[in-house]
Amino acid sequence: MTDQAHTGATRTIRPQGYWVGVARDGQKMGFWFILPTFLLLLFIVIFPFFMQLYLSVTWWTPLEGIPWYSAWEVFSWFDNYLTLATDPRLWGALWRTALIMIVAVPAQFFLGMALAYLFIDQFPGRKLFYSILLTPMMIVPAVVGLMFFLLFQGTGPVNAHLGLPADFSWLTDVNRAMISVIIADIWQWTPLMFLILLAGMLGVPSDQLLAARLLGGSNWQNFVKIILPRMKTVIIIALVLRTVECFKIFDLIYIMTKGGPGVQTETISVFLYKQTFGDLEWSYVAAIGLTILIVLSVIAAKGLAYMARKQG
Amino acid sequence: MSSIQIRNVTKRFGEFTAVRDLSIDIEEGEFVALLGPSGCGKTTTMNMIAGLEDPTEGQILFDGQDLSGLRIQDRNIGFVFQNYAIFTHLSVYRNLSYGLEVKKVPKPEIERRVQAMAERMSISHRLDQPASSLSVNEMQKLAIGRSAIVEPRIFLLDEPLSNLDAGFRAYMRAELKVLQHEFGQTMIYVTHDQIEAMSLADKIAIIDRGRLMQYGAPLDIYNDPQNRFVANFVGSPRMNLVDGELREERGTLKLMLHGGAEIPLSGKVRVDFTCDGSVHGGSFGVRPQDIYFGEKRGGDDITMTGKVEVLERVGPKRLAYLQVQDTLFVAFDDLDRLRVGDEVPFCLPSDKSLAFDIDTGRRLGGA
Repeated sequence: MTDQAHTGATRTIRPQGYWVGVARDGQKMGFWFILPTFLLLLFIVIFPFFMQLYLSVTWWTPLEGIPWYSAWEVFSWFDNYLTLATDPRLWGALWRTALIMIVAVPAQFFLGMALAYLFIDQFPGRKLFYSILLTPMMIVPAVVGLMFFLLFQGTGPVNAHLGLPADFSWLTDVNRAMISVIIADIWQWTPLMFLILLAGMLGVPSDQLLAARLLGGSNWQNFVKIILPRMKTVIIIALVLRTVECFKIFDLIYIMTKGGPGVQTETISVFLYKQTFGDLEWSYVAAIGLTILIVLSVIAAKGLAYMARKQG
Repeated sequence: MSSIQIRNVTKRFGEFTAVRDLSIDIEEGEFVALLGPSGCGKTTTMNMIAGLEDPTEGQILFDGQDLSGLRIQDRNIGFVFQNYAIFTHLSVYRNLSYGLEVKKVPKPEIERRVQAMAERMSISHRLDQPASSLSVNEMQKLAIGRSAIVEPRIFLLDEPLSNLDAGFRAYMRAELKVLQHEFGQTMIYVTHDQIEAMSLADKIAIIDRGRLMQYGAPLDIYNDPQNRFVANFVGSPRMNLVDGELREERGTLKLMLHGGAEIPLSGKVRVDFTCDGSVHGGSFGVRPQDIYFGEKRGGDDITMTGKVEVLERVGPKRLAYLQVQDTLFVAFDDLDRLRVGDEVPFCLPSDKSLAFDIDTGRRLGGA
C-alpha cells in the first residue's frame, strides 16, 4: 500500500521538472555520474579493440590509399594470423623477450631479497643507503638507456675499468648486446623488487622471529621456514609485476641498441614498433597484438582461477 | 633445568637506567615471579636472562656459567610471549615441532614428542589445523607446549595471562601451577598482577624503578614487607598506610598524621618507631583485615574513632571506609553491623602494625 502510494507520488512529481526526478531517483543519478568514464572506456578500450579486430582480417596499410574504415575492400580472411604463426622474426622476438624475463626477473628477485634482508636491521646510514638504492627506479627508462649506451661504448667507462680494448664492443656484438641490455634492466629494476620485498619482510611479526630464534632456529632456518612463507603473497605480487613489465620492455632497448645488432636484442615491443612505424604493416601488427592479448588473457584467467582455488 | 644467579646487573638505555644493581639467586626448579608496576624494569630483566639484551654491568650465570657469549638460538631458553607469538602460517603440529625440527631431531621422535605434548596440552584434536584458527586459550597452551617440548634449561613467561579474560585467567593460573609441577622446570614469570604472583610463585622478586625492593616467599613478603613500597604494592585490598610526624607528649609517643588525626603509639609498633632514634617522620601501616571493631583484644592495641563514610561489598564481606579527621582507614566490617554515618570506635593491633621511615621508605624494627 505504502509502496504504491510512494510510486504514485513519484510519478506525479516527475513531470514537474527534470531535476526533481533525478534527485529522487538514485539510479538515474548514478548513470550520469558514470557516463563520462563509460565514454572514455568506450573510446580507449572498446573502440580500438574492434578497430584492431577489423583491421587484422584485412591487408590494409596506410599506403593503401583508402581510409581504414574501407579496409574491407582488401579483406584477407585469416592470412595475417597464418603469417604470424610462421614468422621467424616474431618468434625470435618472443624468445628474446622470454630470455630477458628468465634472466633479469630472477636476478632482480634474488638481489632485491638479499638487499631487503640487509635492511631489516637498523644500521648507521640506513636511510641514506636506502635513498641511494632507490634512485635507479626513479630515473626515466630512456635516460637509463642513454646512460648504459654511453657506459658500454668501446671507449666508454666499462671497457676502461675492465682494461678492455676500445674495439671490444658490447652493444654491437651479437652476444654481448643482450647481456648489456639485461644488465641495464637489472640495474634499473632491482630497487623496485627490493622495495616491495623489504615491505613484505618488515611485515613479518618480529616476535614470531624472536620466538623462532629462542626455539633454536638458525637465521637461515628461520628465513626459510618463517620469513619466506609469510612473504608468499608479496613475492608473487613482485614477480608478477616485474614479469609483466619485462614483457613490455621497450625504451631501454630502443635507446641502447635499437634492437640490434640485426635483430639480436629485438623484443616483442621493439618488433611491433618497427613493424608499425618502419614497415607500416598495420593490419599485421593488429593481428599480432590481438593474438598476444588473447593468449595472455587465457594465461591470466587460468592463473587467477588457480589462486582462487588454492585460497577457497 | 638450571639455577640462575643474577649478579649486580645494571642495564642502561642511553641516559635511562632500566635496571640498577639487581641481584637475585634462583634455585633449580624454582618458580620465581618478577613483580612490579609497568615500566619497573621486570621485562628488561627477563630479556637479559633470555639473552635478548646484554647487561650494561654485572653478570647472569646459569649453573655458575656465563652464557653472554652464546647466541640466542644456542641458549636453549623457553620463552612464552605476552601475545604468544604463534607461527600463524603453520599448522599446530608444525608449531610444536619447530624447535625439534631445527635441531634435526629424527622424524619418528618428533612425531612421538609432538603427540605427547599435544596430549598433555589437550590440543591433540587440533594438530592438523592452522594455528591461526585456535582460540586464545588454545594459543596460550600451544605457546607453552611449543617451548616446553624442547626441554629448555629455564622457562620464561612474559605476562602470559594478561590477554585472557578473568574466568579463564583463574583456570590458566591453576593449570600453569600444575604444569610447573609436572615439568619441574625453573620458571621465571613476569607480571604486574600481585594476585598471580602470590598464587603461583615459590618466590617473588618485587622490583620498582629498576631496583629490587624485596625477594622472598609470598607469605614472607605479605607479612613482613621490608619497605613502604612492598607494603603498599602487595595485598588486596591495599594496606592502610598513613604518614605523619612523631611527637612525644606527656610520656606518650604520637604519630601526628598529615590529615590532622593522631595515632597514639604503644606496644610493639612504638618500639619499632623508636628503635632508630633519628627518625622524626614515619608511615604507619596496617592491613584492612587486621583492624577490628569492638572491645580491645590486646593491652597494647590502639583505639581510634572514625566515621563510616562508605560501605562497599567485597564478596561475602563489606569494606568500611572510616574517616578520622582527613585520613581514611579501610577495614573489613567483620560484624556486619555498621551503617553509613556511624561514629564507631575501632582498634589497630599493635603487634600487626608496621612502621616505616617516611624519608627512605625502609621498614623500622621488624619481626
